[in-house]
Amino acid sequence: MPIEGLTIIGETINDSVPSTHQMFEAGDVDGLLELAKMQDERGAAYIDVNVGPRSGEFMADLVKKIQAVTAKPLSIDTPDATIARAGLAAYDPARAGGRKPVLNSISALRAEMFDLYAVRPFMPILLVSEQVVDGQSGPCHTAEQTHEAAKALLALARAKGREIPNNELIFDPGIAPIGTDAEGNLKRLVAAMALIHNDPDFAGVHMSVGLSNFTVMLPSKRADGSPVKGPLESAFLTKTMPLGLDMVIGSVKRKYDRLAPEDPAMRCVEEVLAADGFEAIMRVRDFYA
Amino acid sequence: MADPAALFDAILTGNAKKAAEVTQAALEANVNPSELLNKYMIPAMDEVGRRFECNEYFVPELLIAARAMKASLELLTPKMAEIGTKAAGRVVIGTVKGDLHDIGKNLVASMLEGGGFEVIDLGVDVPTDKFVEAVKGEEGTILALSALLTTTMTMMKTVIEALEAAGVRAKTKVMIGGAPITQQYANEIGADGYSDNASAAVAVARKLVAG
Repeated sequence: MPIEGLTIIGETINDSVPSTHQMFEAGDVDGLLELAKMQDERGAAYIDVNVGPRSGEFMADLVKKIQAVTAKPLSIDTPDATIARAGLAAYDPARAGGRKPVLNSISALRAEMFDLYAVRPFMPILLVSEQVVDGQSGPCHTAEQTHEAAKALLALARAKGREIPNNELIFDPGIAPIGTDAEGNLKRLVAAMALIHNDPDFAGVHMSVGLSNFTVMLPSKRADGSPVKGPLESAFLTKTMPLGLDMVIGSVKRKYDRLAPEDPAMRCVEEVLAADGFEAIMRVRDFYA
Repeated sequence: MADPAALFDAILTGNAKKAAEVTQAALEANVNPSELLNKYMIPAMDEVGRRFECNEYFVPELLIAARAMKASLELLTPKMAEIGTKAAGRVVIGTVKGDLHDIGKNLVASMLEGGGFEVIDLGVDVPTDKFVEAVKGEEGTILALSALLTTTMTMMKTVIEALEAAGVRAKTKVMIGGAPITQQYANEIGADGYSDNASAAVAVARKLVAG
């Protein structure tokens, strides 16, 4: 369920979700539409639509069918400009109360996707964990690099002919699984959010992450039988919402809460932020083992 | 001297410091490096893999165990070279051009190293010709390709075609993996192996080496 101040883009209609992949493979469109309705009813503000490697025609058809069962705006989720173009063209803003779709996502490596704004205006998710500097592409290793990547995409979003306002921009600084974080990614992410949040040029922008990625590859339960993923994701939200995080691509089934500092999940996240190298992974293992 | 059998437990529990200590003590006591590797270390990583397959272990345990294995191997490898013992195989690994994702690739690389393979990690966003160059001259090299995006997975086919064009395809085994990758896709592009997780990737690599 959503918590106050947090907008959820329902994540379930995604070809990389194993149960959804089976629906795609079986041609079970009714099943996909049930997922859309379920997420709508449980509080998703947007419904994400990721069709994997299927065609633009497939995306367009699914967008139309999903919009027939929900009035929530959609998030067109693909790195493929052709599929994105088809999804945006098929999207009917009137059906969503005039609201624009989200385009998930544009990064420095595929900045040409901004051109799709001419097909239909959208709210872009701007992936700023990747950068292109002097023609060389690579991941952002520091908060400062992430901030610079955000500045570069902000400039492109404001380019003549689109001039996308700040309140329609969604910056994604890139979340990595906490169970593999031997390289300090969580530190980079939290510090980058602070830089963006405190930069006046970014006033009014949204920030989002793919929240389920944070706990992927972890067990569902701790040794005492209590849940692992919901509390850790809630701890992440507790830590980052004050830094401007106000959207997630996430689950409407998960119960998100703001946690007290003494909560074990909150302590785990703080310990990971304080640890270096493999010590961070060991703190995560200590949390659930 | 520490009991070499403690090496099994040190790796299984991910205790890198203990693994290094036991290895050092065993080498000083002239225990055969191959015996350490084959009797304790590889079986420990096999057990880690077994526990992962049945959900007793998860990715953090895999990584921690692989680090302990690596700590031991760093001491063992020079000694093995001295007596002419070879690695389980040679793997060149990387994420294909246009794709900057490295978590899955790094996991597989760690597990392969833990499985006794020599691993050459080319990183992310790797140009096709760099893959081809890296496998030239080493017959039997495994090329492990990773991709996370549906827009970059097609580069795997491009790499295989480049191997063919360079005349090294027959001498190279290609295994692939990544979120959008399936066995069906591996079949379609003519890859020799596919795995959907880092632990099983070791078994796939061993199978490819065995031919």
